[in-house]
Amino acid sequence: MIDPVYQHARREAIIIITAWLAATAYCCGYCYLYGYERPGFTPGAEDIDPVLGVPSWFFWGVIAPWAACAIFIFIFAGFCIADDDLGADHEAELEADIREGGPLG
Amino acid sequence: MITWETLQRQWPTLLALIVFTLISLGIGVVANIVGSRQAGFLRKYFLGNRSMGAITVALTAAVMSGGTFLGFPSLVYTFGWVVGLWIASYMIAPLTYLGLMGKRIGQLSRLTGAVTLPDLFRERFGSPLLGLFTSLIILFFLTVFMEAQFVAGAKIIKVVLTGESLSQIAKAEDVDTTDGPAAAAKPTITKEEREAAEKQAYWIALAIFTLTVVAYTTYGGFLAAVWTDVFQSLVMAVGVVILLPLALAASGGLYEATVHSVGKVGTGFAFGPGAGRAFHPITMAFSYFVMWAITGAGQPSTLVRLMAFRDSRTLRFSIIYVTIYNAIIYVPLIFIFITARTILPDLKDSDSVMPTMVVKLANPYVAGIIMAAPYGAVLSTVSGWLLIIASGLVHDLYQRFLRPKASEKEIARASYLATIVVGLGVAFAASQQPPFLQLLVVFSSTGLAAAFLVPGLMTCFWRRASTQGAIAAMLIGPAITISLYMLGSNPSLAGSLGLPPNPEIGPPRGLRPYYLLGFDPCVWAILGSIVAGVLGSLASRPPDAARVSLLFDKQPPNAPAPATLDLHPERAAEVLRPAT
Repeated sequence: MIDPVYQHARREAIIIITAWLAATAYCCGYCYLYGYERPGFTPGAEDIDPVLGVPSWFFWGVIAPWAACAIFIFIFAGFCIADDDLGADHEAELEADIREGGPLG
Repeated sequence: MITWETLQRQWPTLLALIVFTLISLGIGVVANIVGSRQAGFLRKYFLGNRSMGAITVALTAAVMSGGTFLGFPSLVYTFGWVVGLWIASYMIAPLTYLGLMGKRIGQLSRLTGAVTLPDLFRERFGSPLLGLFTSLIILFFLTVFMEAQFVAGAKIIKVVLTGESLSQIAKAEDVDTTDGPAAAAKPTITKEEREAAEKQAYWIALAIFTLTVVAYTTYGGFLAAVWTDVFQSLVMAVGVVILLPLALAASGGLYEATVHSVGKVGTGFAFGPGAGRAFHPITMAFSYFVMWAITGAGQPSTLVRLMAFRDSRTLRFSIIYVTIYNAIIYVPLIFIFITARTILPDLKDSDSVMPTMVVKLANPYVAGIIMAAPYGAVLSTVSGWLLIIASGLVHDLYQRFLRPKASEKEIARASYLATIVVGLGVAFAASQQPPFLQLLVVFSSTGLAAAFLVPGLMTCFWRRASTQGAIAAMLIGPAITISLYMLGSNPSLAGSLGLPPNPEIGPPRGLRPYYLLGFDPCVWAILGSIVAGVLGSLASRPPDAARVSLLFDKQPPNAPAPATLDLHPERAAEVLRPAT
């Protein structure tokens, strides 16, 4: 039977990587579309279009997803990550192996 | 030259440094007293007895090096809002740093009894060779890395002692040995006299720095190192919270500051890829989401902390705390240094923007405290690394290969001695202020992450991962990193290989890698490491079934550690039973 701690950790890691991918794709995608000089779009001072003093591309491309990530992290770390027992420390057994088994033991 | 007048001129900063130093030494003493109540020297000295609480884990994970604290403001000042995207992956980094491998590393280090990273890899794969490789890679890269930190720490103290321009703090990690600003301050003395005085001041500063960091680290061990991290992180947070309203008031607000800067340096200040230069094209934006959020998880200093937290609940709360800390620190830092372009429109040396802003906006004593933050960052970084190197020497080499039967007392003495010898040895190397150190620093930081991230993931999540696969992943990552930096610093070599010219992106000066297809080397290094790890594992024999079962299957509470299987192979059948 598979160790439930390993199962939980794997599930949580998949969710974390998905969240990282989503944050990366959204931030890079949004900022490129609305905040970058690119073929067909040469921004001028009028495109700053401030939201709370921040250029709108930066507000919606960085600040807003930062807030969304913070909310997601509060929920995920606060309620979804399982409180698993990580087990007893086997340091004594490792020490015994080092003492009795030699360098290649 | 160190004179009473110069010391008086720098009094607030000097006072802040003295307070920092005294508090660090005090932390060492307290950590020693707390640690002496706990059993098991190695686990206590190198891992704080796996007792790190949530706030400690969070604040040590959030900590920046001295270079980051100084370099980041300079980039915002120079290139504008796009630098916010450069650092934006800090929104998700708490989750990836601590959550991706945290629980499994914490569990596996307990199941195997591992105290160090080489222990963990060695026990997970049952390979002394892999353990040795890990030790040697860490020893090599971290020693070089630490040399630069010693130079940085010494230069910060020298700035205060000699009365150099405060802006020179910002260049603390630049090991350029060309004429310093003291030349301008003392035009009447000869070049030889000035060089001798410079050297003397540097050596005194280096001695002060070395004595401080070696003393409190040796005395207090792991707890002293992490508590200094916490203290320094809190000081930086206080500094940022004080600076933000002052900066907004002085500039007239963010929008006004942005419009003013756009008028001064062009629309690039408000948009990507950056003012005056394609600093951060979208390929680099992606690269930095990999760099900060993913490769950071593979740094040995992060992995060691993941072996030291108390329990799963601690890990959850530390993720939340570091999320709050990052939001409080990094978003305001962007705002503060966006306004700097308006407050200090004609700064010649952008590296000095942080100290110059602080001096301009805050009272001198507050400025002193804030400027001591980079010093604290260097101090705490060095103490953590000093212990990783000392643990590598004592536990992974001395005890494993030379004196397996050494008593706990002998191990303790060897650990203290190793911490002192490594500290003094690195200080000696730093006393020469070697040229091209920055080159090695970049190799080291990206090389370490490229070496250990993928083997770490294989350790945690892939049953089929083999020793050969882990070694391949560990070697290919740094090899790709180093190759791309060599190509970047030698354009003719890139040309002779038929590669197109290096794109003009990223920072304009300093060491530049070859940005293959516009991506930072970390992307290629991680990709290469993944491919090597997977192919190496699939092409080699599957790992020992009993060992894998111990670490991936549910076992009874009295199941042995993998190390016991080495001593008693007959117990393998007992381990495999529950899995079948």
